[in-house]
Amino acid sequence: MAASPDAAGDTVVIGAIVRRRADPAEVARGEYRVRLHLSQLQSLLGYGDRVDRYAIATRAPAATADAIARINDAAFGFRAHRSADIAVETSTTFAVVSRFHRAIGVITVVASAIFLLCIMLLKVEERRRDVAALRLMGISARTVVRSVVLEAAAIAVLGSIAGVGVGALASAIVNVHYQGVYRTPLKFSIVTGDIVVLAVTLSLVLGIVAGWLAARRLVRTPPLALFGR
Amino acid sequence: MLFTLAFASLVRHRARTALAVLGVAVSAAMLLDMVMLSSGMRESFRSLLLSQGFQLRIAPKGTLPFDTEATIRDADSLVALLRALPQVDRVSPVLGGQLHVPRASGAVTAAVLGLEPLVQGDYELVDGRHPMAPDELVANDAMLRAIGRRVGDTVTAAAGYDAQLRGLSGVRLLHVVGRVRFIYMAAEQRGSAIPLATLRAMQGPEASSRVSLAMVRLRPGANADAMRAVVERLVPRVTVVSTTDAIRQVDERLSYFRQLAVILGAVSLLVGFLLVTTLMTVSVNERIGEIAVMRAIGVRRERIVAQIVVEAGAIMLVAAPLGLALGLVTARYLNSILARFPGLPERIDFFLFQPASAWTALGLLVLSGILSGIYPSWRSASLGIAPTLRREAVG
Repeated sequence: MAASPDAAGDTVVIGAIVRRRADPAEVARGEYRVRLHLSQLQSLLGYGDRVDRYAIATRAPAATADAIARINDAAFGFRAHRSADIAVETSTTFAVVSRFHRAIGVITVVASAIFLLCIMLLKVEERRRDVAALRLMGISARTVVRSVVLEAAAIAVLGSIAGVGVGALASAIVNVHYQGVYRTPLKFSIVTGDIVVLAVTLSLVLGIVAGWLAARRLVRTPPLALFGR
Repeated sequence: MLFTLAFASLVRHRARTALAVLGVAVSAAMLLDMVMLSSGMRESFRSLLLSQGFQLRIAPKGTLPFDTEATIRDADSLVALLRALPQVDRVSPVLGGQLHVPRASGAVTAAVLGLEPLVQGDYELVDGRHPMAPDELVANDAMLRAIGRRVGDTVTAAAGYDAQLRGLSGVRLLHVVGRVRFIYMAAEQRGSAIPLATLRAMQGPEASSRVSLAMVRLRPGANADAMRAVVERLVPRVTVVSTTDAIRQVDERLSYFRQLAVILGAVSLLVGFLLVTTLMTVSVNERIGEIAVMRAIGVRRERIVAQIVVEAGAIMLVAAPLGLALGLVTARYLNSILARFPGLPERIDFFLFQPASAWTALGLLVLSGILSGIYPSWRSASLGIAPTLRREAVG
């Protein structure tokens, strides 16, 4: 083993071949990695007694700020950072991906809202003859509107429940796929209570509004016209 | 007649048609964005790599360019060997490092490239001139801002720290002779460039005759992949990365976005398809009597199918340009989000508009529009004329 391929090097005894556990701090494909004693690697690379970084455990969280200040006062050519600050700095990638997902989510919600509105409008317009019959029987316009809105709300709720089921299934598939690809136990997709509430509320509101608009239009049209006469 | 009937049918239900057009437009926008995302990264990266015409990158064995701090030793002989090859047009050796500029509030640290200005391919000159003399430096705006200097000023800079002596090492007084834009650096990354020999001298004896990377531009007609194999055979201690290899590496690292683009693109297309299919099915069901009458007076089944397909296609055709315009706006916004990826070169675009993307999206939309009209129209045109008319009459 040598620092360059064509030079004579040291003999290294391989102590163990390990399979790394998936690390929640890393999102990366399986890579080849070698662990050496620090002194051996320094010697191999001609690094002297240099290191890239070192970690310090303080006795108590309160002592961390003091330790950082004292190290930085004495330091020359290096700097101490709080682990939490480094975590924030290195999680920029996640923050960017999260913002991107949120933007995509907004576009998807807009598309779904229009789709839902259109479907509800069509669904109610299909009831033209029923509404005409009810009106001719003497049922009041208000009752007709209420019944149509109730029906629209029921459809929206049932659709939402089915949607949450499909979403949960899709989320599980996404997690299984990407956890395997990136060898990490991190979850890529989580269906939270907030998301479910948002989805159900949105579809319910849109369903009711669409149902109400369509029903109002229907009851304002003369019943015979609805029959096509 | 066919188009008139289709138009009349769409106008009869204005609200419904408008909603369908809007829904398909949003789906089209999403589809275009995803088509742009799936191919944009690769094309953008390819054009970035080839922007200066260098097709090969030579890095220390087992590494990618500037992926580690490893360097290539005896680089001068390597560069001479490469320049002697008849297929090679230009070789640009580059040594990377850090430049520390002492300030009252602490040192400003920036990336520095040691290079040969006449053959370099790492920056574009914005103002001033190239650093031809040993004590000359060019820097980007982020660096000049951080050190409070302009073209024409001088700056004291060091290549490292000497922990034993508690002082800066490799200190030089450098003249800022140019303002540049680095091609491969991130937007806000501070960067500077000085002559290769100067940086080597500043970094000390360990850096003499070393480079981090050598970029190779081939003569027209030379095969990059063949040359890659030739150089790796001649110099086994280096890794040669061709543009194809580099693009493959980027593809692997950013495969998530490509997969996301494929999934969301397919979902968008499906949503648009379902929307138009539902609309056409309801519309056809409402007009079953009318269709039966048309069939009874001798209108051919194919003509009825064609009329309904024209209606579906018209919705798609009206919605597509709206969607494409909306898609370009959203792509710009989404690109501005992803441009904040740490370390991403400023010029990389995730969403790159190519006419082929727009045509692909438009073609898929029109195809799905035609398909969405075929089933409901064929079903209605196939119903028995007499039973349908009777059902419609009796109610």
